[in-house]
Amino acid sequence: MSEKKAKLPETAVTPVEYDPQYILMVNGLKKYFPIKGGMISKTVGYVKAVDGVTFNLKRGQTMGLVGESGCGKTTTGRTILRLYPDKTAGQVLFNGQEVYDLSSRELNAMRPKMQIIFQDPFSSLSPRLPVGEIIGEAVRQHNIVSKEEYNDYIDEVMDNCGLQPFHKDRYPHEFSGGQRQRICIARALALKPEFIVCDEPVSALDVSIQAQIINLLNDLQEKNNLTYLFISHDLSVVEHISDAVGVMYLGNLVEYGAKDDIFRNPLHPYTEALFSAIPVPDPTVKMKRIVLEGSIPSPANPPSGCKFHTRCVHCTERCKVEEPVQKEIEPGHFVACHKYD
Amino acid sequence: MSDNMKNVKPDDRPPMRMQSVPETVAKRHAEKITEDAVKSSTASSKKNNNEEEYSLNDDRRVKILSPGALVAKRFFRNSIALVGLIVLIFMFLFSFLGGLISPYRQDQRFFRTDYIYKEYAGVVENEEFRYAAEGSDFTTALQAQMLLAMQRGKPAFTYRDVAYEIAEEGPDFYSISKDGKVIGIAYKDIVSPSVEGTDIPFQLKYDALKAFVNGESSFTSGSDEYTIDEGGVVFKGDAEVAFVSRYVVNSTMADVFLTRDFKEATAAAIATEDPDFIYTDENGETHEYLIEFNPEKNTWSVRQETASYVYDTYSAPSKEHWLGTDRNGMDMLTRLMYGGRVSLVIGFIVEIISLVIGVILGGIAGYFGKWVDNLIMRIVDIFYCIPSMPIIIILGAAMDAMNLDPKIRMIYLMLILGFLGWPGLARLVRGQILSLREQEFMTATESSGLSVPRRIFKHLVPNVIPQLIVSCTMGLGSTIILEATLSFLGLGVRFPFASWGNIINDVNDTHVLTTYLFIWIPAGVLLLATVLAFNLVGDGLRDAFDPKMKR
Repeated sequence: MSEKKAKLPETAVTPVEYDPQYILMVNGLKKYFPIKGGMISKTVGYVKAVDGVTFNLKRGQTMGLVGESGCGKTTTGRTILRLYPDKTAGQVLFNGQEVYDLSSRELNAMRPKMQIIFQDPFSSLSPRLPVGEIIGEAVRQHNIVSKEEYNDYIDEVMDNCGLQPFHKDRYPHEFSGGQRQRICIARALALKPEFIVCDEPVSALDVSIQAQIINLLNDLQEKNNLTYLFISHDLSVVEHISDAVGVMYLGNLVEYGAKDDIFRNPLHPYTEALFSAIPVPDPTVKMKRIVLEGSIPSPANPPSGCKFHTRCVHCTERCKVEEPVQKEIEPGHFVACHKYD
Repeated sequence: MSDNMKNVKPDDRPPMRMQSVPETVAKRHAEKITEDAVKSSTASSKKNNNEEEYSLNDDRRVKILSPGALVAKRFFRNSIALVGLIVLIFMFLFSFLGGLISPYRQDQRFFRTDYIYKEYAGVVENEEFRYAAEGSDFTTALQAQMLLAMQRGKPAFTYRDVAYEIAEEGPDFYSISKDGKVIGIAYKDIVSPSVEGTDIPFQLKYDALKAFVNGESSFTSGSDEYTIDEGGVVFKGDAEVAFVSRYVVNSTMADVFLTRDFKEATAAAIATEDPDFIYTDENGETHEYLIEFNPEKNTWSVRQETASYVYDTYSAPSKEHWLGTDRNGMDMLTRLMYGGRVSLVIGFIVEIISLVIGVILGGIAGYFGKWVDNLIMRIVDIFYCIPSMPIIIILGAAMDAMNLDPKIRMIYLMLILGFLGWPGLARLVRGQILSLREQEFMTATESSGLSVPRRIFKHLVPNVIPQLIVSCTMGLGSTIILEATLSFLGLGVRFPFASWGNIINDVNDTHVLTTYLFIWIPAGVLLLATVLAFNLVGDGLRDAFDPKMKR
């Protein structure tokens, strides 16, 4: 065990103090997955899926998390919810409480407060349970409502999510993708959560249904003062729904700030390149695409210094050696790039 | 695109109610409702409400069934599976109730009276002259001289200076006289006294023979009047005194005394060339006798038909035994019932043993993964490598050598088959659980904070059970086949216990195979039908459990 520990890179982070205005504080969060290899399956390396993510999320707000495929967005979301048995380093403070310090009983009690909506509405519903049971089983488990109110409560939740009471006895396979996503939302919502990780909830759906689901999420947020961590690779959706936006690249949060700041004034070269790819619905506009050379490096063997330096047009010698730290350029607008030192 | 998004306000969302239903469909709905309204007056109020008319309310919707009912419904729609189920129900009733209803026990042996012909007596036609004389003058030497003269056809001869005359009194009947007086006779028809132990005087013998050979019906001997019938029975008045016959009847059995009546009857039968005759002896027992002529020895053998009690083997189907009896004289139908019981019980117990081991080990391997999974799966691999047939045959032989009680042997058989059968199930369960664990709905149960038992029993197990049920149903069929094969080879269930396999084992030569169809066809058909039914039901269940199957 001690040998394994020794192999891990330096993981210490300076702890942060709890600030009550934030429902969620993520500080230097790292999640590495071991790579097993060789005859006796020893750990030969790590996939650095999340490699130092720091952000704070205000109550009632939506933070969009964008980035390429494989940059660690989903892992970030799941690590925050402690859906992996452990994290590698960093802090996750939910309402000031370190999520990974909870005993399993305390964690179970806390589960209803933080929920997740999955990307794939087909595999995220147990095929052998009727919808009412899928939505309601955790409600009963956590005694969210009393037994007498239970049926009405489930009906109400379903109605809020655009489902009808008779859907209760049906099985997931009898629903369309959009309806299934509503079921997922209803399942998350039924537990009266404060915080929901939306893990690409619309990417499996067609555009018209996407709009329905996005609007549904917006409505519910207004109604229940929900906080979302909205993971997506679809910048338009993120722009529509978010109050704050974080941009991830290879496990790092390279830029993060209020939505308008980020979209109006992207600072990080990667963010610039990413946002230049947003299609403009006007054929007369000549788009200035910044085309990134090469592909995303392997998270198992990330480049030294700034992870983006292999593809960055502003790359300097310093970028290749020194890892940039997050700096607040404007109020509430953080970026990790040597360009702004 | 982002502008588009912004324009979609919550209120613009298409309402969930089906207002866009085409008019024709709506009309059809309305018509249907009208029909319903005729049946029930309660529906009429709803008809007036325009909004409800276009919506799918509970009355108009397809009835939602509980999960179990849904599976049952899908199952019962599958007519082939239904046939299988009916066959299985029949098999169970046949096997478990049949044994109770049947008036016989499974090892009850039946007997029948069989008639066999036992060698009872031998009959020889007397071909040699016999001699009788008055007094003792008729010596052996004189008899030889007389025979010599008779063969030469000389009516007289002289022996030791005494002249004798031979007179032919009838066919094969001669008298010899000295000085005009009959001193002896030579005859072939034997005169025996009717009453045992009495002697017949020479004169009477002489007179009786004379009358018999010349076909006379009465004669006088001394001062008495006698009558003689065609059969050669001599009466004095009404009393029978003697019996004249060419045939000598001897008992072939040491302790049997042949009565005169019997001898008469035999002689009469031979004389009239009857192949058989019926004789009632003085004790009132009636037997049938067969007479067989042996031309080489010129003898007849008389065989008595005697009843003997034998096992009722291979008897054809009858009122008492609907499917006949088997090699041991046991009722076939009853044995089929008990055999079905044994076959089904063995199938179930073996499958349960396999299931318990397989589910526990497969579940542990799948749920805990890592080195536990590795270890258990290697054990499974090893079990897969074991050639089960040779093992079973060797163990069967070992049990033979130990002379185990058939009942204990049966239990051992179930244990052996069960312990050899689990690896497949373990692999199935482990694979299912592994794949289910990675599904997002399992992550969802974790994020919802569901308790571990609930996660296992509400989310994992229901997703494995259908495959288990299907696998077990199919496995039951093959277990029954395996058991039948072993029993057929004599390694499984042993006599006196019946099993379909060892019933078929009775067919050990072509004679039985071709002659006694009722021995093996019913057992074979039952075996076939049961295994087929298990497979059909298994298929039907698999389809029924699959929620993705179209209704």
